[in-house]
Amino acid sequence: MIAGLGLTAVGKVYGPTPAQFAAEAVRRAVADAGLRLADIDGLLTSSGVTGGVSIDLQRDLGLTDLRMLSHLQSYGATAATMIQVASLAVTSGTASVVACVFADSPLRPDRGAGAAYGTRRAPAGWWGLLGASGLVGANPLYALAARRHMARFGTTTEQFGHIAVAQRAWAALNPVAQQRETITLADHQASRWIAEPLRLLDCCLVSNGGVAVIVTTAERAAGLRQPAVHVLGWAQSHPGHYLRRHPDFGLVTGAATAGPAALAMAGVALADVDVVELYDCYTFTVLVSLEDYGFCAKGEGGPFVASGVLGPGGKLQLNTGGGQLSGYYLWGMTPVAEAIVQVRGQGAERQADQHDIALVSGNGGVLDHHATLVLGSAAGAS
Amino acid sequence: MTVGPVARDAATEEFFDGTAAGRLLLRRCAAAHFSEPPAEQCTTCGSTDLSWVPAAGGATLVSWTVVWGRPSGDSEPERTVLVIAELDEGPWWWAQLVGADPAGLAVGQRLCVEFRRAAEEHEAVPVFVVGEVTGGGSHG
Repeated sequence: MIAGLGLTAVGKVYGPTPAQFAAEAVRRAVADAGLRLADIDGLLTSSGVTGGVSIDLQRDLGLTDLRMLSHLQSYGATAATMIQVASLAVTSGTASVVACVFADSPLRPDRGAGAAYGTRRAPAGWWGLLGASGLVGANPLYALAARRHMARFGTTTEQFGHIAVAQRAWAALNPVAQQRETITLADHQASRWIAEPLRLLDCCLVSNGGVAVIVTTAERAAGLRQPAVHVLGWAQSHPGHYLRRHPDFGLVTGAATAGPAALAMAGVALADVDVVELYDCYTFTVLVSLEDYGFCAKGEGGPFVASGVLGPGGKLQLNTGGGQLSGYYLWGMTPVAEAIVQVRGQGAERQADQHDIALVSGNGGVLDHHATLVLGSAAGAS
Repeated sequence: MTVGPVARDAATEEFFDGTAAGRLLLRRCAAAHFSEPPAEQCTTCGSTDLSWVPAAGGATLVSWTVVWGRPSGDSEPERTVLVIAELDEGPWWWAQLVGADPAGLAVGQRLCVEFRRAAEEHEAVPVFVVGEVTGGGSHG
């Protein structure tokens, strides 16, 4: 189960290296749990676009005699994957207190946010050919996915806009969110094209910062400082067609298989889920994930998100911290961290009334890697 | 500039020999399955016995995007149309679409391969144009 959560200052926070953000996140997570650094006997690290976080973090934190130490990478699915691995470790006795951490610092004061992820790759070979063709960064690739969904199902840019507007309304209630000024659908429609059909307000933020999560056994967590957050279920799905012919590209993601598997492991139905924290690198990612998890039928994500179910007070408590679109973008740790806050009941102004079961997604590559977690306030029936 | 500079490396030597001669080379296994050019093994049967075979050049549009450059001053932002095209042999290819009005694009539209270079010293890059292959090949 999850006993600690540590979030550093996030956003336009200049100065710390990714390794320094990572160390600070772990220190905060340990303090949050009511543990000491010396209690950690397992460490899983992960890094973002600028790299810089490695298993050297053990040395930076002065951790000795660890029983598990590794660096993981499945892009945006890494955070949920780390918690899966940590849960396996503590239930098998491999380790008893595992810290999982992600940190990144792509923002620099001397350049725009787009430059952080938009740099051309090496000018040679297959990657060089992609760059020479104009396929630089994730924006055009997700745009190609979103366009395919629109062409097949009639999804519209206005429907994407409903997701952006709803998440900004949640962000307005979140003191750590980077963008807290509410927006309208008209604002979304007036925002500039990045890669059609994706506008600026369809794209996630770029953020500096770090998040760490402490995973331990229920026995060890008893008597610690925070309300229980049990890891009830998990699953991964990696379709494996990156830049290859793929009939499902943009239409169906790994959530379609990981979702039911994680819910089955948790022994809960989709209708039991109170809070939904989905990876939202783009509005489109949310829309297609909602379909794949079964919140609406395949192809009906557009009408579903436009039907008034989203936002504070809506039927679906979705991306309640503003997500990566308006909160902060620390890859898969953004939805993981918000789910922990919600299950604990510590969301203050943005707290969901019902918060016993949270569904969390991680998405990496261009819909190539998916990881799901089901978190709960009570231990599972199994 | 339509396409950017790119250099060959060990893995792309044959491919860029092909583009220099106006051919988009695909990988084909002994069972005649076609795979995308970067494939290390057949994407259908897993065979590692792959040869380079030129695509006929015809394709259909799978998806497209218009990438907008950052606005600066009064000048219109640069716009680049990128597509996924399904080659008639089966594999998909990600490339620029040149000379087309994006407003008129539709899934299933016929495309054909051409080639462009950033400059004489750079490798030729496959691009698509709208329309059927007319024969005789085309050279950038």
